[in-house]
Amino acid sequence: MRLLVVEDDHTIRDFLSRALTEAGFLVDACAQGAQAERLALEGVHDAMVIDLTLPDMDGLDLIHRLRAQGVGAPVLILSARRSVDERVLGLDRGGDDYLTKPFAVAEVLARIRALLRRSTPNQPEATRLRVADLELDLIRREAHRGGTELQLTQQEFALLEYLCRNAGRVVTRSMVLDHVWKMRFDTSTNIVDVHIHRLRNKVDRDSDKPLIRTMRGVGYVLKD
Amino acid sequence: MVFLMMYGLVASAVRERSDSWLVGESETLRQVALTTPKDALYGRIVGEVAELATQEFAFDGSGKHSAGNTVFFFENGESGEPPLWVGPSQNQALIDAVQKLRIHERSAVSVTVPGWKLPFRVVAADLGPGMGRIYLGLQDTSARSMLTQLLLWFVLGWICMVAFGFVIAVLSMRGTLKRVDAITSAAANIGTADLSSRVASADKPNDEINRLARTFNTMLDRISASVNQLQTLTDSVAHDMKSPITSVRGRLEAALSTDDMNLSRELVAGAIESLDRLSEIVTTSLDVAEAEAGALRLRREPSDLADLIHRVAELYAPAFNERHQTLTTLAGKPVQAMVDQRFIVRLLSNLLENELRYAGDGAQIMVILTETEGKAQIRVRDDGPGFPPNLLSHVFQRFAKGDKSEGHGLGLAFVRAVALAHGGRAWVRNLDAPGGAEIVIEFPTFTADQMSFPPQAESLDPSRVPGVTQPNNDVIVTSS
Repeated sequence: MRLLVVEDDHTIRDFLSRALTEAGFLVDACAQGAQAERLALEGVHDAMVIDLTLPDMDGLDLIHRLRAQGVGAPVLILSARRSVDERVLGLDRGGDDYLTKPFAVAEVLARIRALLRRSTPNQPEATRLRVADLELDLIRREAHRGGTELQLTQQEFALLEYLCRNAGRVVTRSMVLDHVWKMRFDTSTNIVDVHIHRLRNKVDRDSDKPLIRTMRGVGYVLKD
Repeated sequence: MVFLMMYGLVASAVRERSDSWLVGESETLRQVALTTPKDALYGRIVGEVAELATQEFAFDGSGKHSAGNTVFFFENGESGEPPLWVGPSQNQALIDAVQKLRIHERSAVSVTVPGWKLPFRVVAADLGPGMGRIYLGLQDTSARSMLTQLLLWFVLGWICMVAFGFVIAVLSMRGTLKRVDAITSAAANIGTADLSSRVASADKPNDEINRLARTFNTMLDRISASVNQLQTLTDSVAHDMKSPITSVRGRLEAALSTDDMNLSRELVAGAIESLDRLSEIVTTSLDVAEAEAGALRLRREPSDLADLIHRVAELYAPAFNERHQTLTTLAGKPVQAMVDQRFIVRLLSNLLENELRYAGDGAQIMVILTETEGKAQIRVRDDGPGFPPNLLSHVFQRFAKGDKSEGHGLGLAFVRAVALAHGGRAWVRNLDAPGGAEIVIEFPTFTADQMSFPPQAESLDPSRVPGVTQPNNDVIVTSS
C-alpha cells in the first residue's frame, strides 16, 4: 500500500511519514501542492493524506483538481480549521474523511485503514471474531473467554467487538466514542475509561493473560 | 432690508409732516394776503405773518434757532411789482428757481436750488385771478439730520447686532468645540493601557454634544468591560494553559534525562495527557467564544431530544453507578428540535460530568425533558450541595469555577453558549428543599415552518438570541 502525505509543516510531515512507514505503508511525502499534484497524477497511491493549508495552494483546490483529473484514491483531510461548514465543504470537494488538529497518530492510522477498506471490494463480513482465547459470536451477540460465556451488556459487547476488530491496534478514546456510541466529541471525560474498566473486569479478571491494555496517553489496545 | 424699509417709512412720514405744515401755512398766508387790503401796509402785514410762520419752523421746541432750517415766503404779483420776499437774504437764486416752477396748488414739490445743499419743499397758493401767487418753501434740515441720524443709528444698531451675533456664535462655537475637544482628548487618552478616562457629561441639556458624550462613555464602558473580561479570560487561559504546558515540558525533560525506559514511557504518556487537556481547553474556549460572538456554525437537523438524552445517559450510566449515584431520566415522549446533535451531545455530556463531579456520592440525579408551548426544557437536578452562593450568579461565565473545582471552568459556559446558539437559554438555581442544584436548558422545538427548511449550517445572529445582550438575565437566584 502506497500513501501520499501532503503537509507543509515538516514536523507533522516527518512524524506522520515515520508512523505510516512503521505501520507498513510506503510513504511519499511533500510540502507543496504543485509537487503533490505531480506525484498524485502518477496514479500509484492507494490513499492520500492532505493538509488544507499549503504554501502554494489551498488543499481543497488540490483535491478538487485531482478529482477533476481522475485521481480516485481516497483522501483523508487534515486541518486546523474546525468549523462544520469546512468539514462539509472538504467532503463535498472530494475528501473522504476529515480529521482536525491536534490528532492522535493512532486515529490517522485507523482512518486510513478505514478508507482503504472502503475502497477495496467488500469482503464477506465475519460472523465470528477470535483473539487468543476470546471468541465473539457476532450473530448471537455472545462472547466466550476460554470457553466460559461472558455476561456482557449490549454496550459492553459493542465495545469489545470494536476492540477485537482492531485487535493489535491502538484505539483512542474519541475513536471508541465515535464507533461504539456514535458520538464524535473530544473531551477530557474519563467515561470511556469507566466502560473499559468494567469490560476489563469481565474479560480479564479470571485470566492470568490480560487482553485489554491501556496505552497511557493514547488509548487502548486489545492483543494477546 | 428691514432697516431700509423703516428708513423709507420714517423719511416719508417726516416729509408728510413738513408738507402738511407747508400746505396749511400757505393756506393761512393766502387768507391773510386776500383779506389784507393792497395798500402800503400790505407788504409789511403779509411779510410779518409770513415771518412769524417761518419762525415757527425755524426754531425748535426749546426756542433755539435751528440753524439748518430755512423757510422762505415769496409772493409774486402779476403786475410786475417787486415780489414780496421773506427768508434768507441770498434770495435771487431761490426766486429764479421757484418762478421757473409750475406747481399745482396744495401739493408740495422738491426744488433743488443751486447754492443750497438740500432741496426745498415748495407749496404754491393762488391768490386769485390777476392777483399772483404765493410760495412757501421749507428746507427741513433738522428733519433731514434727524433722518441721517436715524440712518446712522440703524447702521450702528445693525453693526452692533451683527457683532453681537458674531460674538455669541463664536462663544457658543468655542463652548461646543471645547466639549468636542474634551471628547477628542478623552478618545486620544484611550488606546494605551488606560481605559478609565471618561468624558464629562451631564443629563441636561439633552443636546447633541451631551448625547455624543454619553454615547461615547457608554461605548467606553462596554469596551472596558470587554477588555476586563478579556483580561480575566487571558489570565485564566494563561493559568489553565501554562500549567499543562509546564507539566508537559517537565515530564518530557525528565523523560529525556532518565535511563529507565519504563519511567520514560510513563512520563511521555503523562505529557500526552496534559496535551490532550490543553487541546480540549483550546477547542472548548474557541467554541464558547464563537458561540458568544454569534459565530458558531451549526449543522442543524431534526433531532429527538429524548433520544439524545437516553443515549448520553446510557453512556454515563456506569460512571454514575461507580459513584453510587442514581441517574433517572424522565424523557418518555419524543421532543423534536432543530439542533446540531454533536453540540447537544456535548452539552448533555458536560451537564452529566458536572453532576458526577459535584453532586457528591450517593446523590440522586434527574434529567427531565418536557415540552410546553413550542419550548423544550431539559432540567438536570440533583440533591447534592448546590452551587456555592458566590458562584451562583456567574456559573455560566468562562473560567468561573468553585474553589473545589478541578475542571477548567468551561463546561457550563459551553452549555449556555450552545443553548444560545440554538436560540435557547440556560439558567441555574439552587433548590430550596430538600436542597440541591438545578440547571435548565430551554430550546425552541420543532415547528412546521422549520420543517420545510432543509437542514443547513446557519450562523447565529446574536440580536435574535435572548440573553446575549444581557448575559446575566438567565441566572435566577432562588436560594435564600
